[in-house]
Amino acid sequence: MTQLLQALLNGVMTGALIAVPAIGFSAIFAVLRYPNFAIAAYATIGAFAAWWANAQLGLPIVASLFVAFAVTGVVGVAAEETALKRLRGNGALIVAIASIALNLVLENIVRFIFGNEMRGYDLPIARDLRFGELRIGPQQLQSLLLSVIIMAAMFLFLRYTRFGKAMRAVADNPDLARLKGIDPARIAIVTIFLGAGLTGVGGVLIGLDTSIDPLTGYRVLLSVFAAAVLGGLGSIPGAVVGALMLGIAEELALLAVPATYRTAVGFVAILLMLTFRPRGILGERAA
Amino acid sequence: MSAAAGAVLRATGIVAGYGAAEQILKGTSLHVAPGEIVSIIGPNGAGKSTLLKTLAGLVPAREGEIHLGGRDLTRADALGRSRAGIGFVPQERNVFGAMTVSDNLEISGFQNPGEVGRRSEEMYARYPMLADKRKALARTLSGGQRQILAMAMGLMNAPSLLLLDEPTAGLSPKAADELFDAIVALNRGGLPILMVEQHALEALAISTRGYVLVSGRNSREGAGPALASDPDIRKLFLGG
Repeated sequence: MTQLLQALLNGVMTGALIAVPAIGFSAIFAVLRYPNFAIAAYATIGAFAAWWANAQLGLPIVASLFVAFAVTGVVGVAAEETALKRLRGNGALIVAIASIALNLVLENIVRFIFGNEMRGYDLPIARDLRFGELRIGPQQLQSLLLSVIIMAAMFLFLRYTRFGKAMRAVADNPDLARLKGIDPARIAIVTIFLGAGLTGVGGVLIGLDTSIDPLTGYRVLLSVFAAAVLGGLGSIPGAVVGALMLGIAEELALLAVPATYRTAVGFVAILLMLTFRPRGILGERAA
Repeated sequence: MSAAAGAVLRATGIVAGYGAAEQILKGTSLHVAPGEIVSIIGPNGAGKSTLLKTLAGLVPAREGEIHLGGRDLTRADALGRSRAGIGFVPQERNVFGAMTVSDNLEISGFQNPGEVGRRSEEMYARYPMLADKRKALARTLSGGQRQILAMAMGLMNAPSLLLLDEPTAGLSPKAADELFDAIVALNRGGLPILMVEQHALEALAISTRGYVLVSGRNSREGAGPALASDPDIRKLFLGG
């Protein structure tokens, strides 16, 4: 029983970490209607930007998160404007394939600048907290808290701000939005900045849990994509629900299968969802 | 010619279509004068909705000119025309279904954020149903309620001309009558309206003027009630 509860707890922690980049991925999909696989590189870039701010400049982790958000947001917009934007007219598949190529380019730029070795953030060493038989690392708890704050901030932004509502309007019906005087191109830039920025922050949260290297983002790409598909591509609440479900499923699976099969959970989740409910749990349209 | 010269909207020789080779509009012309309700009627496939979409900037005009209040909007896209003062209410997908009524109104006043509160209250006063449903998701509204919301959204940017594409499509006769009443009331406030309607008799009855479109070309033009009672029109298009 303790093992099961511990797996559930770990699953929530894992899910919360995946949720942040999954929100970024879904936001970009909702407005631009293509899956941007370069988010793996954005997560890595965010992780390294925060590492630079934290371990090199001595900024605290929370301040480093802001650095990661800003740096990745700018990289995301620059990549979109220079590489992906001109391909949009050729359809979602072409842009998606180009984003995979872009991911490789960005990942190797990170490798060129920072090298291949693993790096860790400047964090105090602390004992795990114990709740009966359950154990939680203080860093995990802090990351969970940060994830919840980020998710809540995104929710409030989308629900209550003028720009957030404009993003939802463009995601729902770009032609109607244009008729109402909203410029979808401008909204797209803001969305990419936000989406890439959130993915970068997600990369930091994942790095805080373990360590970082140029493949940090690539390793979670499948989980992020699976979470977005599970929740319904383009649905922000869906991305959160999908990430939590996937995180719990991954941890529960580890009770029965070796850790090497962990990635398979994401594949199975995508396969099942696309077979039985292609629009995902909270999706509005078919994926 | 003199009526067209002082027109709010003047469209001349419009050629437009969807595909590269497809021409739906083949030189259509029309104008809307201040204070008018103008209806466009015609058989299915005549190009009525395409004409409105072209005027709104959703379909590019390959030839012809479009002027709003003397300003050349021929090259402007949908965003530019909206900002210039053309309000367009499409026939379908004309509200943001996953957003509340109040959010739909707010986002429709995106160009003038400082005016959104006042204009929303105006819409709630004009259409009390919207006030009652302000927290409801737009997709939960009935067809008639949705059309009223769509029309209110079209008014949020204070347009100088309102284009309505089949506003009564799919509505019950009672809801359609109420919507026609709402259109007349709106026009009495001074807003010129250009609409496409399948319920041609009813539309012409409330219209100052009407155009009959056939195969993408102007076929007839005249005063709304006169067209409605014209035996040829009734026979050809209205089954009368």
